[in-house]
Amino acid sequence: MLLFRGPHWDKGLSTSELQQAMNEMMAWFRGLNERNKIKGAQPLAGRGRVISGTDGQFVVDGPFAESKEAVGGYLILQADSLGEAVEIARAMPTLRYGISVEVRPILAECPIFQRHPELVRQVNDRAAEQLWVAAAA
Amino acid sequence: MSTTTQSDYLLLFRGNVWDRGLSPAQLQKVVSDWMAWFERLKAEGKCAGGHPLEEAGKLVSGKQRTVADGPFAESKEAIGGYFYLTAVDENEAIEIAKQCPGLEFGSVVEVRPVADICSVKQRAEEYSERELAGARA
Repeated sequence: MLLFRGPHWDKGLSTSELQQAMNEMMAWFRGLNERNKIKGAQPLAGRGRVISGTDGQFVVDGPFAESKEAVGGYLILQADSLGEAVEIARAMPTLRYGISVEVRPILAECPIFQRHPELVRQVNDRAAEQLWVAAAA
Repeated sequence: MSTTTQSDYLLLFRGNVWDRGLSPAQLQKVVSDWMAWFERLKAEGKCAGGHPLEEAGKLVSGKQRTVADGPFAESKEAIGGYFYLTAVDENEAIEIAKQCPGLEFGSVVEVRPVADICSVKQRAEEYSERELAGARA
């Protein structure tokens, strides 16, 4: 998964620079699409909410849209390796305007299982138990 | 990029160390609850998918296209995974986020509307229209 950080990279660009940057981005995107490298991609709206607190009682506006850290969109790549994903990210045209790309491998299962392998059996047992109860009801 | 309805939301789960210090029973419960929550949302047609992300990753940035190891480990800000919610309004997306079993242990959920169009592309189009309007005047 590629996470695009810093959604306000276009500030201060002229209309023609912006147009060129968008054209380059679309070409990059089309190229990946033609090679069947894209499984999904979406831009995210600037506004959003951040939920925290033990019962989710804190709901604040966020993240700060102006932040260089804010995620502005994502792209799910079909890549053979982290190395290939990184090379694809490095070819992204708008890097030169200050956007950054976080490259994260997608996992089939939660990393908590990797840290606590004993959980896998316990959770599977519990899931089987719940199914059994549901089937019996 | 494919078009979506305004009613799609991405939940980004932040914080990847909240499981440290939990007892095996607490861990088992939170992981089971999380999986049950995910399965229920999918069964209700409110979640199109989701994945945990590997903690290791890379950050690509700058004109030099520098590749650095991601600052993702041991961070309260790091994104640990995501759900893609479908056919919900913002209030329902927030209510769903509040059900996240990790909140109790310090996990934070970011709720972001999926956009129809990239905000930069939208600004680029607005600039062009303004220029055209200026040229006509």
